[in-house]
Amino acid sequence: MLKKFRIKAGSADGADAPSFKGTSAKDLRKRFRKDRHKDKKVAVFRYAYYAPAFKFFVEQVLDCDYLALPPATKRTMELGIQSSTDDVCTPFKHMMGDWIEALERGANVLVQVGGPCRLGFYGEMQEEILRDMGYDFTMLNFSHGIEQGYVGWAKEVMKMVNPDINVPHGVKQLLACGHMMTKLDQARDLYMTCAGFETKPGACKRAWEGLLDALEGCTSAKEVDAAYSAFAAQMRAVPLDKPARPIRIGIIGEMYTAIDMESNLDLDEKLMGMGVEVHRMLNFTNRYTHYNEPNLRRGISEYVTYDMGPTTTLTLAAAKEYAERGFDGLIHAKCTGCTPEIDAMPVLRSLSKDFKIPILYLTYDTETSDTGLMTRLEAFYDMLAMKKEAQLR
Amino acid sequence: MLNAPDAAHPVRTVGIPRALLFHKYGTLWRTFFEEVGLTVVVSGDTTRAVVEAGDALSIDEACLASKVFMGHVDALKDQVDAVFIPSFASVNHRAGFCTKFQSLPDLVSNTFRAEGVAVISLDLEDATDAKKMKAAYLDLASRLKVPGAQAKKAYKAAVAAQAAEDAKRAKRAAETVALMAKYRKVASTDPHQKELAPPLILLVAHPYLAHDRYVCGDITDALEAAGAVIVCADEVDHAKSFKRSFAFSETLPWLVNRELAGAALELKDAVDGIVMVSAFPCGPDSLFTDALMRRLKELPILNLVIDAQSGSAGVQTRVESFIDILRFKQEGGYLDAQEIPHQGGQR
Repeated sequence: MLKKFRIKAGSADGADAPSFKGTSAKDLRKRFRKDRHKDKKVAVFRYAYYAPAFKFFVEQVLDCDYLALPPATKRTMELGIQSSTDDVCTPFKHMMGDWIEALERGANVLVQVGGPCRLGFYGEMQEEILRDMGYDFTMLNFSHGIEQGYVGWAKEVMKMVNPDINVPHGVKQLLACGHMMTKLDQARDLYMTCAGFETKPGACKRAWEGLLDALEGCTSAKEVDAAYSAFAAQMRAVPLDKPARPIRIGIIGEMYTAIDMESNLDLDEKLMGMGVEVHRMLNFTNRYTHYNEPNLRRGISEYVTYDMGPTTTLTLAAAKEYAERGFDGLIHAKCTGCTPEIDAMPVLRSLSKDFKIPILYLTYDTETSDTGLMTRLEAFYDMLAMKKEAQLR
Repeated sequence: MLNAPDAAHPVRTVGIPRALLFHKYGTLWRTFFEEVGLTVVVSGDTTRAVVEAGDALSIDEACLASKVFMGHVDALKDQVDAVFIPSFASVNHRAGFCTKFQSLPDLVSNTFRAEGVAVISLDLEDATDAKKMKAAYLDLASRLKVPGAQAKKAYKAAVAAQAAEDAKRAKRAAETVALMAKYRKVASTDPHQKELAPPLILLVAHPYLAHDRYVCGDITDALEAAGAVIVCADEVDHAKSFKRSFAFSETLPWLVNRELAGAALELKDAVDGIVMVSAFPCGPDSLFTDALMRRLKELPILNLVIDAQSGSAGVQTRVESFIDILRFKQEGGYLDAQEIPHQGGQR
């Protein structure tokens, strides 16, 4: 009010006019630039090693505050079990636990993805359960707007979370986020082929965790590349004692359980601990960024004609590729009741018979015991090792 | 395709398993193949032997309905040149199917790989898109070397037959509801309040459960024995139910569940209670059941999950006690029933 008055008064007599000298147009623009940031605390469910990418998405694309979740505990699982129906698939329960913990820690916005199976209905159901429990929040559910693809999702984001997003900047950063996920997958692939053979225990793991830390601080695609380069250099420098023909195991299966270490009880680390070269074609890059289902299906056309489900084509294509490359065994990991992966199993049986490759089928639920899993993995490893020894002799 | 029929053995007899979506699209399929000049063999009713054979052929964790399906394919395989199993994809995010229906042809091909059961199939991307559906069926006919004109005529006749069948069922359901409403109105005029209309139950179950005597027969028998009248939710007018289901849920991905939800919304004031039946372990129903229970809180709901081991005694007890509760409520036994006209304030 006072400012207005002064300018008015100044312009009236002409002598006391406010001076803009020394204030360039650029400074002015800066002064009046809209603050697009929203002080909302946005949480994403815990999923494998993708937390840095989720953080990047929230901070750079949504332009909000990211609420980081600490590692899951037994309590997380129990919260999830208590708030879900019994026969729903296990990822639903894991996510429910994540949501409750996030809300307890002050989250205002929860981000749920859409998907082609039950996952497409997760968001709506989880929102309803949490509301019935009395929580107050906004759910950014990408099952809405899915008919219009990216345009629909952008509208959904602006409606639900941040209407002031700078769209061109957001698109650029979304691509950078996808790039970070690709780099994460690439780094994980490198890590899983090396860590089983390191001579200094923990060297690879330190490099891997260093990468995750570095990515947490990245704000652009360029910084992501720099962080990856540093990680790769560190990994190449780790001395390895790798036999000429190591035991190689391919992990195939369902998108959540086969990747997420919380759900599959650290399957990767357990195998690497036995000195196995671990491969997993299933990851975000191969399922979303570079996914061409009809073309991928060409390679397995002697087994299937149609797309059999969200990740089934990738499961079967990976299985066949690993078998053709002479892998020692495959591990098929899924959660209880995952229909598409159950349907992949008869096809895997055909494949296993044709290529004479052993497959260990693991079904995880919330009660799966760590020791029980270890016993099965050790037995599987011993069998593969004996087979390999007989072959090499 | 692993077991596609080869040119040397043209398909003359086609088998259709009496399971899963046969109970929804069976008339269309049967009419279509008959009209293009093939002999159609539909497998018999589900029996214990069929279920046991299907169980042995399936992965343990697969749902009961898919095990039943495998049993039917097994029963058909020696009688026919090829088994017809379409693949329903979920291109439409709001009217898709459980991925089971997408994978069935390949699942059967691989399960019966040693026997070499020939499968004829087609890719149905979007069941709500009439144009695409027609194109897919005509493509199948051309693969079967049927002349184009005959195929078109056959498809037209098949769609008309299915529409007539659906309309007949919808009419039956609507008539039952109307009749019961009338009964209730007449009963309410009884000065002694002794006359009570039988409870009207909405059976919310996938068509392949509701119309399979082996799977659901115990439940419907027990309901009828207890004096209830049943309306099947899957028989209520499909187009209307589908439209109405968007008031129930925006993101529900499955067409069949949408039709059930829409019917439940439409009839929630007309029925006394809902009996939900799902096959263990049904993917869509694991979420849908919960959604329905949370959103129709005012209505009594009995939720039954059936598996291959189900005996009839347990089902009978639960159904009887459910009907007893409904009767008690009808008679004004519960406090909230005081709001029912003519009965308020008498207790």
